[in-house]
Amino acid sequence: MRVFSLVAVIFYALSALNFGLARSGGSARWMRVGLTALVVGVAFHGIDLVVGSLRAGNLPVGNFPEALSFLAWLTALAGLVLIARFRFAVVGAFTASAAFVALGIAAMLMRRGKLVLPAALRSGWLPIHVTLAFLGYSLFLLAAGVSALYLVYESRLKGKHPFPVGGPPTPSLERLDFINYRLLGWGFLMLSLAIVSGSIWADATWGHFWSWEPQESWSLVTWLLYAALLESRLTVGWRGRRAAALTLVVFTVLLGSFVGVSLFHPGKHGGSFD
Amino acid sequence: MNQTVFVLGVNHRTAPVELRERLAFGNGEVIGVLTRLKAQSPALCEAALLSTCNRTEVVGVSADSALATRETLAVLGAVRGVDCKPLAGASYRFEGADAVRHLFRVGASLDSMVVGEAQILGQLKFAYAQAVAAGTVSLVLHRAFHKAFAVAKRIRKDTLIGHGSVSVSSVAVGLAAQIFDTLADKTVMLLGAGRMAEIAARHFKAHGVQSILICSRTFENAAAIAQELGGTAVPMQSLRNYLKLADIVIGSLAATQPILGPSEFEAVIRERRYRPVFLIDLGVPRNFDARLNGIENIYLYDIDDLEKVAARSRSERASEVERAEAIVELELAAFLKWLERLELVPAIKRIRLSMEELRDLELDRHRGWLMALDAEARERVEMLTRGLMNKVLHRIMTGLRQGVDGSREGLDTAELAGRLLCGGGRSHSFDDEDGSDSGDAI
Repeated sequence: MRVFSLVAVIFYALSALNFGLARSGGSARWMRVGLTALVVGVAFHGIDLVVGSLRAGNLPVGNFPEALSFLAWLTALAGLVLIARFRFAVVGAFTASAAFVALGIAAMLMRRGKLVLPAALRSGWLPIHVTLAFLGYSLFLLAAGVSALYLVYESRLKGKHPFPVGGPPTPSLERLDFINYRLLGWGFLMLSLAIVSGSIWADATWGHFWSWEPQESWSLVTWLLYAALLESRLTVGWRGRRAAALTLVVFTVLLGSFVGVSLFHPGKHGGSFD
Repeated sequence: MNQTVFVLGVNHRTAPVELRERLAFGNGEVIGVLTRLKAQSPALCEAALLSTCNRTEVVGVSADSALATRETLAVLGAVRGVDCKPLAGASYRFEGADAVRHLFRVGASLDSMVVGEAQILGQLKFAYAQAVAAGTVSLVLHRAFHKAFAVAKRIRKDTLIGHGSVSVSSVAVGLAAQIFDTLADKTVMLLGAGRMAEIAARHFKAHGVQSILICSRTFENAAAIAQELGGTAVPMQSLRNYLKLADIVIGSLAATQPILGPSEFEAVIRERRYRPVFLIDLGVPRNFDARLNGIENIYLYDIDDLEKVAARSRSERASEVERAEAIVELELAAFLKWLERLELVPAIKRIRLSMEELRDLELDRHRGWLMALDAEARERVEMLTRGLMNKVLHRIMTGLRQGVDGSREGLDTAELAGRLLCGGGRSHSFDDEDGSDSGDAI
């Protein structure tokens, strides 16, 4: 395990803890500490990625743990933007825990030694394609988190057990629904651009845009699912609980395909380039 | 010379409103009353007057608080032409620690009719400013009021005492805030124009709702209330057409069975593109079919549900009050410690003076042989005597301070130490000096 990622893991844990305390106690101080810890964690994590990039000569995403680490970093970064905009400790608690778990797993699986990227991957397209795709994933992850939160809050209101009126402010259902919508929209845009950039790159390298390898097919499936999800909101107006539940379902598909493809059908996306 | 803080006052618990009205002073009158108190109550050293619609209180400092209380009562009675007897009967008095605790509790809104309301702190600040302007505040009240402000601020920050809303209407608004991001672009519909529905509508209006629809059995009633609330009256027969506009519906119609059920809302919710609806049922029997709560994005709360939420937040507030009281006690202890140390100051000053005097006397007595020494040796003798004196003084001070922390005994010990060190005959002249020290208050 590398030193910087270890430090980042610790700060993510610290951040998650403080945001959790801020949630239950409603104190602004915990929130500030949590936010600071998250920023520090992202900074160390970023240094780790820079060091990795310098060693590999490109984005260090040649194997599953490295990719997971990069994904965790983008999630934490996107989460930071979200917290800065909406000021909800509970979003911080979710983001920091997600970053902690993802980077923790990645760090445990990481092997020491020099990562050598195959020749086919040493391209300017790699960082563009991978960053877009992973940014899309991390926005979908945050959308899923916000949707889970929505379902919990909504069931409390429906079940006549709302949060104490006049207690520390909690995000309203309408606000959570709106955040979910925006995250889905941006995530969808990123995923679309990732698919387009990937096709162009594939055409430049192998001479064809699309080769129906597992990751590509699954990307197409998730892209269609997210498109349908956004479509249902824009045309029929499906929102609220229905939208939240569907966001979670589609994200489960996405998560399954990402982990499944990476572990069992690596193909070009998993590092086999024969 | 031992000054005590005292409070004399009437409030909503001790005095009927007729008496409170007569004792209420307008903002422009406070300085005049304080000036009169200063002139007519020789026992009073410091004073401030707090007058709100629920309480009139004098916070004072005096060496003889029993006498000062009597004098204050007489002045207040005379100013307002109230007999002293009923006034004394309806008033409360606190002395020393109890008085300071009372001041802190008042400032933190723990003694208010609506616990946690925010106005009282502003009123207390005003009372303090007036007393400063009248020149009736000195060391002790300055500190006591500033502490009271700090305590109030800390309680507001560290507890949720100012948060909890407890009326059914405010619970309804609080729940709406958990469903909707903002109320500014929402429409409230009153179904029936009962008194409670109207109060609730006013609450929503105060929290930003701009569009209000009123639908009542008699259109004239609806129109009258619409005018009062700045809303729009809707005829009962076109209720269904307007229902899709309403984000919040407050039902209070007198009806034997539910007026609106799932069949009415199935279509409405689709037309609204699944935007949430908050149904508040204040009617008994209920206006809305309970099954409505099962429909997606509809949240139905009847009067019992609202009462339950209100009760929960009331009990929440009770536990916050306990936390607030604990903060008051903590700050009170700190203040009392300061006050007692303040009382030690004259005694300590006296002891130091007499020691200095003794040292000068002794040095003078030995001037003959001291002058025969060279400058360096003389300097050493100086240092030796001063060092010895400071060591002894330090021991005495430490002992006194520790004694004071425990009890009043410390103060008596300080007196005793002062007398012993000054010698019986000389103490009078020092007492005079003390008089000029603390006599500048009033």
